[in-house]
Amino acid sequence: MTNKFQNQQQLKNASNAALASILNLTLLPVIGFIALYSIYKKTKPHNIDHYHAVLGMKINIIAAIVLLLVTALMILLGGFDSPWTWVYVISYFTIVHTTFIMIALWVLVRSWSGDKLFNDA
Amino acid sequence: MKYESQGIAKMYFIAAIGLFVGQILFGVTMGLQYVWGDFLFPAIPFNVARMVHTNLLIVWLLFGFMGSAYFLVPEESERELYAPWLAKIMFWIFLVAGALTILGYLLVPYATLAEMTMNNLLPTMGREFLEQPTITKIGIVIVALAFLFNIGMTILTGKKTVITLVLLTGLAGLAVFFLFSFYVPDNLVLDKYFWWFVVHLWVEGVWELILASFLAYVLIKVTGVDREVIEKWLYIIIAMALISGLVGTGHHFFWIGTPDYWQWLGSIFSALEPIPFFMMTLFAFNVVNKRRRDHANKAAVLWALGTAVMAFLGAGVWGFLHTLAPVNYYTHGTQITAAHGHMAFYGAYVMVVLTMISYSMPIMRGQKAANVKAQALEMWSFWLMTVSMVFITLFLTGAGILQVYLQRYSEAPLPFMVVQDKIAIFYWLRELAGLVFLIGLLLYIYSFFAKGKEVGNIEAIAS
Ligand code: HEM
Ligand code: HEM
Ligand SMILES: [Fe+2]
Repeated sequence: MTNKFQNQQQLKNASNAALASILNLTLLPVIGFIALYSIYKKTKPHNIDHYHAVLGMKINIIAAIVLLLVTALMILLGGFDSPWTWVYVISYFTIVHTTFIMIALWVLVRSWSGDKLFNDA
Repeated sequence: MKYESQGIAKMYFIAAIGLFVGQILFGVTMGLQYVWGDFLFPAIPFNVARMVHTNLLIVWLLFGFMGSAYFLVPEESERELYAPWLAKIMFWIFLVAGALTILGYLLVPYATLAEMTMNNLLPTMGREFLEQPTITKIGIVIVALAFLFNIGMTILTGKKTVITLVLLTGLAGLAVFFLFSFYVPDNLVLDKYFWWFVVHLWVEGVWELILASFLAYVLIKVTGVDREVIEKWLYIIIAMALISGLVGTGHHFFWIGTPDYWQWLGSIFSALEPIPFFMMTLFAFNVVNKRRRDHANKAAVLWALGTAVMAFLGAGVWGFLHTLAPVNYYTHGTQITAAHGHMAFYGAYVMVVLTMISYSMPIMRGQKAANVKAQALEMWSFWLMTVSMVFITLFLTGAGILQVYLQRYSEAPLPFMVVQDKIAIFYWLRELAGLVFLIGLLLYIYSFFAKGKEVGNIEAIAS
């Protein structure tokens, strides 16, 4: 574990980053990302807060692509007026969105304990 | 087992699992009747099967709650149960009353049952989930009061912990709100209004306290995390549950003839209802991440985490999906409701009871945890049941979206039965998933009898 290299400020930044990541996925899209990015700017490579800021941004960028892009494609290909489009879009969006929230939630508790997502081998 | 009287939980759990099987058998029966209307007709009509399915669910969950409380409370209170004999008598009363009621549903027409049980003296029959004859309801109240007395005296004369006090509050609330099942005004608006005092204030109010306390108890046991940490979480969770859930009842008052302001109150407060479920997930993740040990009972840890995730999914996410008035205007009483009802009941209450059973059953059988093979089978059954419930939910959601669109949203709305024909494919798929669920349940039961290598008594220290 990297604990001994961390100071209080880094831990705080790390958990704020993870929190901003969840907020961007839930209540405050875009605003959450801006907050996340501003935390990222304050961090230095190889520190735990940098790690969590980057991880948070990665998760959110992937989520944005997987959720918005794929959903948009579904609507474009399926047609706005087809009920089947909405069967796929709503089911897909709900399940995948929740999955990202669950991942971000686990990342949040990892940041609280000053850990990376996966323990260093 | 630290206290002998904890062992009483075992008979409650066995009854619960037995009735659970019954519930699912009627579920798959109905699932088939959805696509093959004459199946088992006239022996078991759909409406009777539905009543048996939902009533068995409620009754076995109550058995599960009572068993769990009997196991948990002596240990937390550090004393034997106040009156073990009372718990045993009540078990048999409840089981016999429950069985007779179910037989009544199956063997005589509902109207005859009402007559036989003298419903006219105090009419309470005929409402969804609360179909029980009045005498059965009175029996439930007696059992609940005796149970509450027993648990309450044990808690109040023993060591009090946050977990037992939250549990006691939840159980008392369960009993109090059930009393509304005796109040059946002639005015249909008032009738529906107070019906939700039982149904909603149970699952989105006081039962959440029961859920949170069971989850907290098992998590303390399997992770060794400090009690203080867990107690802080419990306070926030129950505060959020009550703040959002009480006025949240309004999400059932949109279209039943109540004043318009309920559309605002119901939408706003119930939109907050996912928060306590979200906190429960966060809480469980946090505690498991901070665990001080890897408990020998891996299956129980899996169930606890599964409960936290699936309760959020079923109640939080699928609840939020249709809780805002402008959405509910279209989805009210469609397959969307059934999708949510299934995943929420399973994810929160079925799973927390199975978590308690998973943790306590081996202890009551003189082991720390079930043997390696039994645990492997139990975890298989976890995945079979949980994944098939996700699929049941998804298929019903698909059916519901089409139903809303074709029947309520499109420019040229189609009649109900025409739409039902068009979405039959989803009902077939739901039935298939239901059969997998049944297989998972049978595997679960088999896991209690599987023999294998005993788990070591030494606990590995978490890295
Ligand atoms: C574990 C907790 C929950 C359980 C067991 C549960 C279960 C159910 C059930 C069985 C029904 C159908 C009732 C009927 O009409 O027969 C229902 C309806 C409903 N639930 Fe939940 N629920 C839970 C939590 C929630 C939450 C947290 C929300 C909101 C965020 C919610 C929103 C709704 C709404 C809006 C309806 C009415 C659907 C309609 O208009 O047809 N539920 N729930
Ligand atoms: C532990 C698992 C289950 C739980 C907790 C559960 C719970 C429920 C609940 C709460 C309702 C009432 C829904 C409402 O009022 O909207 C219900 C109805 C129903 N359930 Fe289940 N159920 C389970 C398993 C199953 C299975 C495996 C099947 C079959 C494939 C099934 C088929 C049905 C059907 C067909 C209805 C009637 C829906 C209607 O009236 O249109 N259930 N169940
Ligand atoms: Fe509700």
